[in-house]
Amino acid sequence: MSVGHVARALEEAGIATVVIAVKSFEARMKMMSLPRVLLTSQLLGRPMGGPYDNEKQSKILTAAIQLLETSKRNGTIQMEF
Amino acid sequence: MEKEPIKESFEDFIKSFFYGKRSDLSFKFMSDLSSEQASLFIQNLFKDIVDSIDDNDFSSLKQRLLQGQIQGYKEQKNFDYDDGPFHSLDPPVSSMKLSLMTSSGHFTKGNDPKPLGVEDMTQEDAQRRVFDFLKEAPQLSEIPFDTPPNDLNVRHGGYDIRGALKDPNVSFPYQRMMELKSQGVFADLTPNAFSFVGACSQKRLLKKILPVWVKKFQKLKVDALVLVPV
Repeated sequence: MSVGHVARALEEAGIATVVIAVKSFEARMKMMSLPRVLLTSQLLGRPMGGPYDNEKQSKILTAAIQLLETSKRNGTIQMEF
Repeated sequence: MEKEPIKESFEDFIKSFFYGKRSDLSFKFMSDLSSEQASLFIQNLFKDIVDSIDDNDFSSLKQRLLQGQIQGYKEQKNFDYDDGPFHSLDPPVSSMKLSLMTSSGHFTKGNDPKPLGVEDMTQEDAQRRVFDFLKEAPQLSEIPFDTPPNDLNVRHGGYDIRGALKDPNVSFPYQRMMELKSQGVFADLTPNAFSFVGACSQKRLLKKILPVWVKKFQKLKVDALVLVPV
C-alpha cells in the first residue's frame, strides 16, 4: 500500500515509476491502479530473488526498467519472464 | 493437583503465526486461510519436504510456499482506486536519470531512524510493536549507492528479513542498480537510494510525508523511480 501511494503521488507530479512486487501482492497492485508493475515469482520479503542470486536480481531489475520505456498506459502489469 | 493442559484449537494454531506465540512473517499468511486451506497447505508442505530431500531439489518446496502466500494474500482488500495517474516517458531509457526507493526498512549503520523514538530497536521489538508503527509517519533513510553491504542494516516488523540480512539486494537492489548504470542501461543515478518502513500510517503518508518526498525528487531532477514493496 505504502509504495502504491508513493507511485501514485510521483506520477501525479510528473515522475515516472515502476513497481517490482511479489505475485502475492497482485490483487493489491491492481486495486491501487498503478502505472507499471512487474510481478515476480518470488517469496515474500525477497521480491528480487534469493540471496546472492545476482543474475536473477539483474534480470528482474532490467525487465522492470524496460517497462518504463514500453508501457504506454496506466495499469500495465507484467509477469517476471 | 496437576494442572490440566491448555487445549489449543487448530484455528488458534494457524493464527499464532501472525504476531502470536509462533510469529513467523513468512507464514503469517496462514491466518488468512480457512482451516481447510491451512490444513491442506501444511499436509502438502510436509509431503514436499520429504520429496525435496529425496530428490535433493527444493524447487517444489519453494513453489508450495509461494502458492500458499499467494492464496493468503488473495482476498486482502485495502485501498481501491478506479483509475490512476500515468506519466508517459519519451524513450530511450538509456538517457534517463533513475533512483531507487524501497519499503524494506534499510538504513546505514550509524544512521538509525530511531522508530517510535527508540534507538537500536531489535527486529523482535519491531515485530512486537508493528501495530504502533501503523500509527506513525514513515521516515526516509538515504543510503549512498556505494555503501558496502556490511554497512547496511535492516529492520521491519512486517516481513521476514532473514533473506535481506544475508543479501540486502533481495529487497533493496542497490548494487544491481549500480551495475546496470555502469552497463549503460540508463544514464544516471541519484547519489543516494532511499528506504523506509512500509508498515506506517497511510493517512500520515498521504497528507504529511508524500508532498515532501515529491519535492525532494523533483529537486533531484529524477526521470523515474524503481519502487520495491515488501
